[in-house]
Amino acid sequence: MRARPETSAAAAQQAAFAQALLHLDAPTPAGLTTYSEAEAARRFAVYRNNVRVSLVAALGARYPVVRRLVGAEFFDAAALLFIAQHPPTGPVLANYGAGFDAFLASFEPAADLPYLPDMAKLEWLRHRAFHAADADPIGIDRLAMLPPERLDTVRLALHPAVQFIVSPWPVLSIWTTNTEDDEVRPLGPEAGSESVLVTRPALQVLTQRLPAGADRLLAALADNAPLGAAVAAAVEAEPAFDIAGCLALLFSAGAIVGLTEGSRS
Amino acid sequence: MTIRTTPIALAAAVAAASLLSVAASAQTPDASKEKCYGVSMAGHNDCASAGNNSCSGQSKVDYDAKAWKLVAKGTCTAMEVMAKDGMKHKGMLAPM
Amino acid sequence: MTTDRRALSLSRPPMRAGVGLKPEHYRPILDDHPDIGWFEVHAENYMGAGGPPHYFLERIRADYALSVHGVGLSIGSAAGLTSGHLDRLKTVVDRYQPFVVSEHLAWSTHGNAFYNDLLPLPYTRATLDLVARHVDVTQEALGRRLLLENPSTYLRFDGEEMGETDFLAELARRTGCGLLLDVNNVFVSAANHGFDARAYLDAFPLARVQEIHLAGHETQHGDANMPTLLIDTHDRPVADPVWDLYRHVLARLGACPTLIEWDSALPTWPVLAAEAARAENLLRASEGADHARAA
Repeated sequence: MRARPETSAAAAQQAAFAQALLHLDAPTPAGLTTYSEAEAARRFAVYRNNVRVSLVAALGARYPVVRRLVGAEFFDAAALLFIAQHPPTGPVLANYGAGFDAFLASFEPAADLPYLPDMAKLEWLRHRAFHAADADPIGIDRLAMLPPERLDTVRLALHPAVQFIVSPWPVLSIWTTNTEDDEVRPLGPEAGSESVLVTRPALQVLTQRLPAGADRLLAALADNAPLGAAVAAAVEAEPAFDIAGCLALLFSAGAIVGLTEGSRS
Repeated sequence: MTIRTTPIALAAAVAAASLLSVAASAQTPDASKEKCYGVSMAGHNDCASAGNNSCSGQSKVDYDAKAWKLVAKGTCTAMEVMAKDGMKHKGMLAPM
Repeated sequence: MTTDRRALSLSRPPMRAGVGLKPEHYRPILDDHPDIGWFEVHAENYMGAGGPPHYFLERIRADYALSVHGVGLSIGSAAGLTSGHLDRLKTVVDRYQPFVVSEHLAWSTHGNAFYNDLLPLPYTRATLDLVARHVDVTQEALGRRLLLENPSTYLRFDGEEMGETDFLAELARRTGCGLLLDVNNVFVSAANHGFDARAYLDAFPLARVQEIHLAGHETQHGDANMPTLLIDTHDRPVADPVWDLYRHVLARLGACPTLIEWDSALPTWPVLAAEAARAENLLRASEGADHARAA
């Protein structure tokens, strides 16, 4: 873009202003009306406060379970650090907060909570599902009507909101108790790795635990593989894969929105 | 080496899944079109300024991961895992 | 539903009070269908692909007039407008057919970062050229007139060449844009910069005003060395002196669509509706005065 001279002076001024908004040790930008130094700082702090507080609040609203797990003070401070490193890249705040899971994964002070990044990921997927495109789920009767020999090649279309996470931690159990209970419930002896399906068949975002191998099936369906090949991928990963249970879960969760028949080139 | 599922096995699974789905949808009435009315749009845009009550952004401490002094004090410290041996493990979850 | 919408979009702006639409109020609005003039939404909150935001706004729009108020275009960005965002704004405007589209005299994007606040601009001829170009581009892209809102500010700059009212008047003259007069912003900025709010309003190009905003603000007390600052928080009722200024504006302008902005510490629906009713009573009274003047 061709810079006009007056524009580049304004750009420099906005650059200095922007830099000081996110970094507390940056000096108050030059070019302000002559106030006392303290007053200039106080006035500038209103803008800095607006930016930081509103973005911390946005992250807190997006990651309520992470916030509850670590407490407000720890979360808000971590969020400020994230914001300084990763300010929003666009004006739609609903898109802000991607990458908080990766930030937490390399965030030394949270190293004692190794499941925290997966929790952030789960909350991000729920948020994405909330805003995903709409589609009408189909019932499993559509599949059951097909002649058996055509099931192998049929392709199932996933709802745009469908996402999943495979975690070595009991992320869904932790999420559930932190969302539904005033005091967290103890996790049972079976608490271990959990894979979670996120869907939004209508208005409500749903999360449910996926059986072992289901993530392979979903990944294959997302790649537009035919049902037979998708089931085979799941069975290969998990010999005891429960085909019927998994299909029932996907359809009743509103994860499937269409089926197409025939081999396509 | 690919594992194949026979058409018969797949058809049987679909038939079983149909029955399971009917049972499941009887339990979870249609994921409620209107139920989540009071939905809050987490982290939305607006054009207001932050007031005195929310001055964390004015904190004089610029948080720095290296100089970090805060300790997580949320529910993670209360999280309890009952292990198979019946022992309760409080606090941090360890890989199991 | 389609015919309703067309009727609403072709009708003249509602000479009534409206309120900012909040998800927390979707339920009382759809359940009770309150008699409120119109709603305003922040464009950026309806830029997702689908889900509850669009579901509820579609339903509410079917029954009420709507104003789309952008908070992220950054029309004062020295580095230029982001065309992607203009496209998104157009998508929202085309879909919901608001009776008016507005944005702020401010900037919020620099480089690749969005600062989520309405940041101040120096009122110079260079800034005027810049903003006028961006208003032209925006009006062209949207295929309709844009209203620009006077900001609340906490800082002013060295070397400013004109006042805010002259800046806005010239901007409107050059681009044909309309203006959104935020009376609370006038009160806040007047206190923060020590000018007289009534004198500001008397100098304001009122003929260009097509919408008015009212909101609550917070007082941040100073000390011996520092003046009190007013903060534009939108988290409480409109202050009495702001109501007085609103009456002052109505007496000169006549009736004008007026919005109660309440963005945080949200009240229950009845409290918000009562605030709108207060504005509407004043507005109706001024409409009566209009007719009297015309007759």
